[in-house]
Amino acid sequence: MKHFRPTSPFHRWPVGVAFCLPLIAGLAMFTAFPVGMSLYYSLCSYPIFSPPRLIGLRNYQELAGDPRFWLSVWNTFYYAMVAVPLGMVVGLLLALLLNLKIKGLAFYRTLFFLPTVVPLVASCVLWNQILNPQQGLINEFLRFLGLPAAWLPGWLTSVTWSKPALILMSLWGCGGGMVLYLAALQDVPQELYEAAALDGARAWHRLRHVALPMISPVLLFTLIMGLIGAVQIFAQAFIMTNGGPADSTLFYSLKLFNTAFTEYRLGYASAMAWVMFVLILLATLGVMKLSNRFVYYHS
Amino acid sequence: MRSLIRKHRLWKTTIAQAALLALALVFCAPFIWMLSTSLKTPDHIQSDSTDPIPKAWFLDYHGQRVRVRPLRRRRGRLEAQIRSGPYRGRTLLVRPGRIHNGVYLDWRNYKKGFEEFPFLRYLWNTLVICGLSVLGTVLSCSLVAYGLACVEWSGREALFWVMLCTMMIPGQVTMIPLFILFKNLGWINTILPLVVPTFLGNAFFIFLLRQFYRTIPPSLLEAARIDGGGDLRIWARIILPLSKPALLIVALFTFINSWNDFLNPLIYLLNDRKYTLSIGLTMFQGQYNSDWGPMMAMSLIMSLPIIILFFLTQKTFIQGVKLTGVKG
Repeated sequence: MKHFRPTSPFHRWPVGVAFCLPLIAGLAMFTAFPVGMSLYYSLCSYPIFSPPRLIGLRNYQELAGDPRFWLSVWNTFYYAMVAVPLGMVVGLLLALLLNLKIKGLAFYRTLFFLPTVVPLVASCVLWNQILNPQQGLINEFLRFLGLPAAWLPGWLTSVTWSKPALILMSLWGCGGGMVLYLAALQDVPQELYEAAALDGARAWHRLRHVALPMISPVLLFTLIMGLIGAVQIFAQAFIMTNGGPADSTLFYSLKLFNTAFTEYRLGYASAMAWVMFVLILLATLGVMKLSNRFVYYHS
Repeated sequence: MRSLIRKHRLWKTTIAQAALLALALVFCAPFIWMLSTSLKTPDHIQSDSTDPIPKAWFLDYHGQRVRVRPLRRRRGRLEAQIRSGPYRGRTLLVRPGRIHNGVYLDWRNYKKGFEEFPFLRYLWNTLVICGLSVLGTVLSCSLVAYGLACVEWSGREALFWVMLCTMMIPGQVTMIPLFILFKNLGWINTILPLVVPTFLGNAFFIFLLRQFYRTIPPSLLEAARIDGGGDLRIWARIILPLSKPALLIVALFTFINSWNDFLNPLIYLLNDRKYTLSIGLTMFQGQYNSDWGPMMAMSLIMSLPIIILFFLTQKTFIQGVKLTGVKG
């Protein structure tokens, strides 16, 4: 006679599937189905009020020759390439300072982290005024330092300074990374530093050859998450500049949103979404491949 | 030698303290600016936007201290309008020396904000969406995590990996088909597109909870099973109470995410009666762009609940950030 063991995998699969039903339904309805449809739409001409009509790769061809598309790619690339590494450096700097076993660690950690919980819309409204060229906090401070009026940046009103302005604003939120780096630094065994010190390593070398390698997995993780987040930057541009001046803050997501919901060109916007997906995948894979040489996994 | 090392350490910590203090001031400045601008009179914002302490002009008039608004200079004298007390509205010509600066908190920015901005309705709309999202996410994610971590069945690893891979797909890819789907369902301009998906799990939080549930000893579940408990009972009676800290993290992050969410309400809520605080504040900024005081007041009011929530749950919050690697 055959015995069914109560824990046999085959016996229990209906239970497992039943518990996972929300996930299975969610993946089917809100991921698999829309991803498939998006690919299909990207091959269609789809003005929202009439049904989609297949046009092959014409959307992608049009993208290749659309100067505003390339401008949005450049703007996004500029923002991500500067904001993410700079945010990591400042976050790491804060973490290293806090790791010196100074008084009031909890206080500083809370304070540096606080900006990251401020609702994005509220911080956009706030920074819109902080960056105001006439009365904003930053230019008033620069004026106080004695900078002549002609040198004061126009920030969000200037084609040159609009992206640096948003990068500056993003630095205010570097506390999220700081918390992670600090936690990782605190996990580095003290003996490693002592051993290095005995070998005559100075502070810089201890940082370069002990601390950084030990926290490199966390650095890689924040780099990838930061890049994925930066590439999708939207609300700041939508609320503060609406892409201007002269399209200098027309980021990829903003262009995609406008194409879909103000021009109602859903097929073209879907093609943009797919190009973005491929670019994010390539960037992630590229970073992972590069990281093999720098990241040290200790287990 | 030892004292030399100690001296070196002292130097180092002193410099670090000084640097941290300076940085703390820089990080604080936007908050201070937000608070002080929200309490300034329009004149003071114009004349002295960086003064952290809200001030106004005062004048002793018939033995009373009244607030005045300087209008213009005339022949070495100042023409000023009285803004408070029984002589309100009267215009005087005074020696400039008679007018002095004093601390003055102008609460009218808040009053004006609340009048122009249907705060309570937007708050209610936001809270409904937040509450349902928290309920949906906690319920669905913990059920699925139980199915992935505590029930042995073939295929659970495959499902888990598929779920992880879907986390790579940017929201922009699914945005347009989902909009069409919800449009065909007649869900546009309702909260359903924002709430229903939360009842079908969230890959990120399922991942978090699964890691947590795997640390629960299998012998505990085995014993409960032998006692004749069904899986649903085990989930409700054993797993849920045991995983309270993790569930709290999920609830907290979901709440903050949906409080701060901008893109989804922007796409799906078209009627200003349905707006959330995020969308409402954006529209408010579009209309009152030059009126800084009420704008700052409303930004502050929108941020305050989250900041208070953060202070109340700080330990859980920081723990959650460390576990998940991202902020709320």
